[in-house]
Amino acid sequence: MRGEPQIQRLSPTGRALRLAVAFVVIGLLLAGTFFGDDDHFPFGPFRMYSTSNELNAPVRDTRIRAINAEGEEFPLGVGSTGLRRAEFEGQVHRFEENPELLSYVAEAYHRRHPDAPPLVQISIVVVWHEVRDGLATGNRTEEVIVTWHAEEDIP
Amino acid sequence: MSSRATQIGPSLARWFTEPVPLGRIAAFRTICYIFVALDLLFFTPWVVEHADVPGELYQPLFIGRILPLPTPNAWLVHTIYWALLVLTALAATGRAPRLLGWAVFVLYFEWMIIAMSYGKVDHDHFAFLLALALLPTLGRARHGDPTLSESAGWVIRMTQIAVIATYFLAAWAKFRFGGIEWLWEATLTRAVLRRGTVFSNWTTEVPGLLVAVQFGIIAFELLSPAVFFVRKRIQYGIIAFFYSFHAVTYASLTIAFWPHLVAMLCFLPLERIRPVQWVRARFPQLAGKSRSQSATADALSDS
Repeated sequence: MRGEPQIQRLSPTGRALRLAVAFVVIGLLLAGTFFGDDDHFPFGPFRMYSTSNELNAPVRDTRIRAINAEGEEFPLGVGSTGLRRAEFEGQVHRFEENPELLSYVAEAYHRRHPDAPPLVQISIVVVWHEVRDGLATGNRTEEVIVTWHAEEDIP
Repeated sequence: MSSRATQIGPSLARWFTEPVPLGRIAAFRTICYIFVALDLLFFTPWVVEHADVPGELYQPLFIGRILPLPTPNAWLVHTIYWALLVLTALAATGRAPRLLGWAVFVLYFEWMIIAMSYGKVDHDHFAFLLALALLPTLGRARHGDPTLSESAGWVIRMTQIAVIATYFLAAWAKFRFGGIEWLWEATLTRAVLRRGTVFSNWTTEVPGLLVAVQFGIIAFELLSPAVFFVRKRIQYGIIAFFYSFHAVTYASLTIAFWPHLVAMLCFLPLERIRPVQWVRARFPQLAGKSRSQSATADALSDS
């Protein structure tokens, strides 16, 4: 009993318009892929995991560490500041040029933890994993990229 | 030559607007709008946490510099968050699809800009954002409606192209940023060292394994457009392979391209999803009241 379903056709104008939009979208996407960068979201290149690492080059692993007024040292994860590790990595050059920017990270931490002891120091640390023939050797070294110290007179 | 051009033109236009049942749009719409809410709540809960990050750490993207978008603050972030939760719940019902659809798209797009303007851009949203942008071009669609529509077909086709472009162009990005040596260098080793799980940590110690996987990834990304040139049955097989690739990636690196996975559903015969009918079948007492009104609709869609 199943009859042929009806078909709702497009007008010639509607079809032409949709074809034009398709070409614009595809054109922007190709332009972003060939010439653009992440900055051109949403038309940037799909560059997830697109960089090469030499087999024996050390593998970089960024950590954010904080020390509070009571001398406790702990890692700053996304829940503690609202910034993800990848976001620290993305802005690391700004932090290197101007360590004072890390004070805003401390500010974010204090907004989220109003009752916690204030942070007196934040460091961005890179842990380098040694790799040989593409295999992790288990050896690692740490490099402090940038450190920020709070002003002396914290209330 | 002109005769060939006039032939290619219409057949290309037909391919871009190959009709699909309106029922697929109804189901896809419901899924997409539910996903926006789930994305806010579960998949990318870190976005709302940007509310507490001072504006000095906001690094607007190109689009944020050309459009007069405000620097996010707690008020803006929480307003968009709650507005999206309410609007997507309404939009998922399929009511006022244009008005609610545009509102959800605009707010979610701004949400994405807030997400990606602090130093890290994710690459899993393109197809989903495009679907959200195009769904409001369509009017009301009933779950299970078999009526074929060319304008619906265009929305589905565009989303499919965006899904496949995400794979195909990712291969190009690897050659552009990593070079041909991406194939045999240590990108995956690095990924497993940084994000490995019990399912994947052993892989860094098997010589050559991750390099072979890299060749496999490039091969499937470059071949992905084949999905448009095969019969339905093989097409479903390819889509199943794509989903299994993401399942393995999730097990190995706990990375999942959730919005991309949702957008990819548009390849499937979603018109078979009929939540209203299922509810009626299971809870006939609920259906009693509205049965007479909906009888005509059911007769239409089941005929």
